[in-house]
Amino acid sequence: MNPILEKHLMQTRRQFFGRAASGIGIAALASLLDRDGLCAEEMTPRAGILRALHHAPKAKRVIYLFMSGGPSHIDLIDYKPQLRRYHGQELPGSIRMGQRVTGMTAGQSSFPCVAPMFRFDRHGQCGLPLSELLPNIGTIADDIAVVKSLHTEAINHDPAITYIQTGHQQPGRPSLGSWLSYGIGAENANLPAFVVMTSQGSGNRTDQPLFSRLWGSGFIPSEHQGVRFRTGNDPVLYLSNPPGINSGTRRSMIDATRELNELAAQSVGDPEINTRIAQYEMAFRMQTSVPELTDIASEPRHFRDMYGVERGYDDGGFARNCLLARRMIERGVRFVQLFHRGWDQHSSLPNQIRGQARDVDQPSAALVKDLKARGLLEDTLVIWGGEFGRTVYSQGALTANNHGRDHHGRCFSAWLAGGGIRGGVSYGETDDYCYNIAQNPVHIHDLNATILHCLGLDHTRLTYRFQGRDYRLTDVHGEVVRGILK
Amino acid sequence: MVRYTVRILHLVPCLTTLLLFGPTLTIRAQEKKTAAPVTVDFNRDIRPILSENCFVCHGPDELQRKAKLRLDTRDGGLAKLRGGGHAIVPKKIDESELVRRILAEDATERMPPPKTNKKLSTAQIDLLKRWIEQGAVYSQHWAFVAPQRPALPNVKESQRVQNAIDRFILARLEKEGMQPAPEADRATLVRRLALDLTGLPPTISEIDSFLNDKNPGAYERVVERYLSSPHYGERMAVDWLDAARFADTHGYHIDAGRDMSRWREWVIDAFNNDLPFDRFTIEQLAGDLLPNATIEQKIASGFNRNHMINFEGGAIPEEYLNNYIVDRVTTTATVWLGLTMTCSQCHDHKYDPISQREFYQVYAFFNAVPESGLDGSKGNAAPVIKAPSKAQLEAIAKIDAQIKELEKASEVVMKIAELRKEKKALEAKAGSSMVMQDMPKPRDTFMLIRGEYNKKGAKVSAGVPAFLPALPEGAPANRLGLARWLTDPSHPLMSRVIVNRYWQMFFGAGLVKTVEDFGSQGEQPSHAELLDWLAAEFISPLPSGGEGPGVKGRRAWSVRHLVRTIVTSSAYRQSSVVTKANLARDPENRLLARGPRFRLQAEFIRDQALALSGLLNREIGGQSVSPYQPAGLWQELASRQDSKNWSAQFFVQSHGKDLYRRTMYTFWKRTSPPPQLVTFDAPDREICTVRRSRTNTPLQALVLMNDPTYVEASRKFAERIMLKEKTSEARLALAWRLATARSPSEREMAILQRVLDKQLQTYNANPKAAADLLRVGEAPRDDTLSAPELAAYTIVASVLLNLDEVVTKN
Repeated sequence: MNPILEKHLMQTRRQFFGRAASGIGIAALASLLDRDGLCAEEMTPRAGILRALHHAPKAKRVIYLFMSGGPSHIDLIDYKPQLRRYHGQELPGSIRMGQRVTGMTAGQSSFPCVAPMFRFDRHGQCGLPLSELLPNIGTIADDIAVVKSLHTEAINHDPAITYIQTGHQQPGRPSLGSWLSYGIGAENANLPAFVVMTSQGSGNRTDQPLFSRLWGSGFIPSEHQGVRFRTGNDPVLYLSNPPGINSGTRRSMIDATRELNELAAQSVGDPEINTRIAQYEMAFRMQTSVPELTDIASEPRHFRDMYGVERGYDDGGFARNCLLARRMIERGVRFVQLFHRGWDQHSSLPNQIRGQARDVDQPSAALVKDLKARGLLEDTLVIWGGEFGRTVYSQGALTANNHGRDHHGRCFSAWLAGGGIRGGVSYGETDDYCYNIAQNPVHIHDLNATILHCLGLDHTRLTYRFQGRDYRLTDVHGEVVRGILK
Repeated sequence: MVRYTVRILHLVPCLTTLLLFGPTLTIRAQEKKTAAPVTVDFNRDIRPILSENCFVCHGPDELQRKAKLRLDTRDGGLAKLRGGGHAIVPKKIDESELVRRILAEDATERMPPPKTNKKLSTAQIDLLKRWIEQGAVYSQHWAFVAPQRPALPNVKESQRVQNAIDRFILARLEKEGMQPAPEADRATLVRRLALDLTGLPPTISEIDSFLNDKNPGAYERVVERYLSSPHYGERMAVDWLDAARFADTHGYHIDAGRDMSRWREWVIDAFNNDLPFDRFTIEQLAGDLLPNATIEQKIASGFNRNHMINFEGGAIPEEYLNNYIVDRVTTTATVWLGLTMTCSQCHDHKYDPISQREFYQVYAFFNAVPESGLDGSKGNAAPVIKAPSKAQLEAIAKIDAQIKELEKASEVVMKIAELRKEKKALEAKAGSSMVMQDMPKPRDTFMLIRGEYNKKGAKVSAGVPAFLPALPEGAPANRLGLARWLTDPSHPLMSRVIVNRYWQMFFGAGLVKTVEDFGSQGEQPSHAELLDWLAAEFISPLPSGGEGPGVKGRRAWSVRHLVRTIVTSSAYRQSSVVTKANLARDPENRLLARGPRFRLQAEFIRDQALALSGLLNREIGGQSVSPYQPAGLWQELASRQDSKNWSAQFFVQSHGKDLYRRTMYTFWKRTSPPPQLVTFDAPDREICTVRRSRTNTPLQALVLMNDPTYVEASRKFAERIMLKEKTSEARLALAWRLATARSPSEREMAILQRVLDKQLQTYNANPKAAADLLRVGEAPRDDTLSAPELAAYTIVASVLLNLDEVVTKN
């Protein structure tokens, strides 16, 4: 082999994760040729499959604050003063239109409308109304675009969260983050492209489970799946040396392993051995870079206070994870997704949602402000939302100070900020009952198409060939929501 | 795998060929120097272009068909177009609208339309033109025509022919002007065979007996040794568990436990008994429908109950019932037909001649099970049968025999009553296994509009796609009929699809690399005739077989015979050492000018470490166990205040010998699968998987270095060599041989010795560190050994377990 090519080959293989060869499309091959082949462009750390982005990106990275369980858009974001009038009245048949409801309320004889038991205040120059439960998010009103017309076909947690994460209600497809890892790769060679962190909310302790498929890579190679960061000694599984092995011993073990592997590489000739050598070096570097990353004690106190890390709400997780997300983004992690559990308010909604909102309000707002102050918000896309919304009618009995709400996929709300998003915008409208969309529907495929768009990707062209078909995150759907873009 | 970069670099000169042939690229790449073929072959040259670029709008899907033009049939291509003219006029490119449209400058006229992001290359356009010039001959897709046993090609280097496989491989290499690699050395071969056939490394005595066997047939004797090992069945079962989406939990939402361990045992036994593959198929698809079905046959039918099952509160039962049936169709089609039938769940297939109606006809076979759409909160979901374990069955049989004995003597009524009670208690303790059953009156099956469970279309009855053979004469229109249809020797797909997957098992890639797709979008076989020969030999082996030794035990549908044929070929026996030239020429080793070399799959990496350490528990079958796993993994994702209402919500680690069972028995929780296995590319078992990815990542290094499983295995491995040998040279050499099957070179010994010396210093100076290291893992430590010394050897053992050579089949 040409020695220059060979050298180049070695370089390109020194990447955070390796790459597998199956399923790569012809177009992607052609782009690879251009990038990895003969043009002497320096390799970025584990670049993705695309030679060039499809258009100029507005965002380079994403932080997705996923509110798992289905936050009530009615009580938090989608302000409907008219609802007061309908409070306690039966939801009219003309609004419900016989749509399917979950098995949990299908048997209910009455569907009384419930107006929020919370005050709404206007915020910012844009005058965005938000529930009194989200005072801090109010302070970033002019930086965020609220989408009030999201919708999904799914009405239960498992299919709904699988759908918004992978574009399909049934398991088996790659998640959003793994598509990004595959498509545009990592910015930092020492950290994964796609990181996931979870926290348990204080609102509902009997909440919906998460599944590893939500950050899985489906049929694209498994190196693209999300890497979970956890609290404790091993932020990444198996990161720390076992007791009795210190860093010096580890170093000499890796050196010996490398020497022996090099001998094998010389006699066997399989380039896979060189990749393995590089991966051991990377693992060793991660043993330093990851603990440094997760050491939030090194953050000045006022930053920890700003996020509320030590407030003792929820399990302490969400605030901490928000701060960690910022540290990851600073270090070039492409996609950080936080899952905060506890938003499934079938009963005791007024009480539970207070806790949930308190968990996330301050840290979410702090994150956006902090990114902005550091000049990172410009090219970091922040998304806040769940898998569906909740019904306007009460699940179970409606009393003076208590009620529940069932799942509702026909409309729900989310907000976005940063990289390419126009601040101070409200997009889409629901009807007076917060039940149907009145204007500018945004399907979850549209949301995903928009996220990819901000990153410089055309959702119709980021594909992976599997079982003879070029799969996409958005299946055969999706329109970019121009109305919220800069 | 990590191969594109390699592949791309030297493919540059033949970019056009590469772009032209997409799925067959690495093979095609070899032909870069030959001019474009004189005679255009439809299946080789044209179908891939039409399929990739045209079929979505001009293919089998009638509803989506544009301009009423279909190009997947000759009649369609030659038919009169709506606007006059013909897409294809044989031999007349000037009159062929197709040619005009692919050349059109005007974007609104050009095909394929720019908005599809597809573009024909000049070479592709040229091929299409020449194909039309030559008469636009169509031929049936290769995989849909039943295989015929091909004649064996002649080869120059006939001394390298061990059996028929080699004739096909060598003929191709000779055509390409490539030299096959020499045979691998015996140490490499014995390890390759042991790992491939049992998933475990060879023992020293196995290595030595092969090295010292100077008689002819030594290699074949090793093959037979491993083929008759009880671990052979386990090894073969592992890949089947992926295909069958086997797991210990239901997978959706709360993800409670299930127990299909009896089904897993059935699979292991089937491979160990070499149950002919047609029976293997029939019993798993329809064991319950066989006349006088035995418990074992009913258990086997659980194959199609291994899919995920839901009981999420508020979910709609009909929706999930539909999901289960779709999963059965998808899985059955992938595993036995190599067809992407799911694509026709919502519309006619875009590439293959499978209509949406036909999808629901196959669906109807699986739509008669007395099951609920929401079930499983209490474990196994109906229908189930009592499935006593083998030990329980034996105990029951023993009691029965005793009762029979006693009944002869009439005065022991009391004793008999006691035994009966004992038997009853035993039976009550027996677990269950999910099975298939058909209701006397099957549910009506309807086409579902856009695949939506609640949008019923026309009613359909059970049937098979029209482009494939009809159900055999007299076969019932139920699952049993479907299974008989699949296993009919005239079926074009089933035998090819199966032998191709076994080829993949040993060579790392199938002869058709897209093992899951034999349709129009799948890869064409690298060695089409070899594939057909293997398929023919699988169904009806010739008495004389191929050639050469190893012809024992020829039976129709014998997997063991197929495996034997593959591993006794010289293609398999080649050294995997690769020259730069061959690496450049054939990076993925599709032409097999060298032996297979790839990383062991997740399960066997751990099994090997357990075997080397002496910790391995070789017990076969039984229920799943929970070896070490970082605390809190399940709970962080799914803890609920009501978690105690369901099983499999709290991880409870096993102890004692259950910590060291083979990895295929590790409890598989679908929503949070064992992380050390997933890191090595084990699939999540949510859906059928017939091809794993093979990645090389730093997270894998972290598992091998730091997972207590491997730290403990290193310690026990160290104890083993220290107890066996006295000097450090002997100990290190033994460790090396155990781990690689070969003796270390001087250089390698020197490196190990250096590590040992250095770590002896370290741990002598720091006894606490030694004690800490030796406390990892629950296996008791041998106190007769000095702690610092054992710690130092543990480090050496860990280095060995981390070597590329050790985690790789060489």
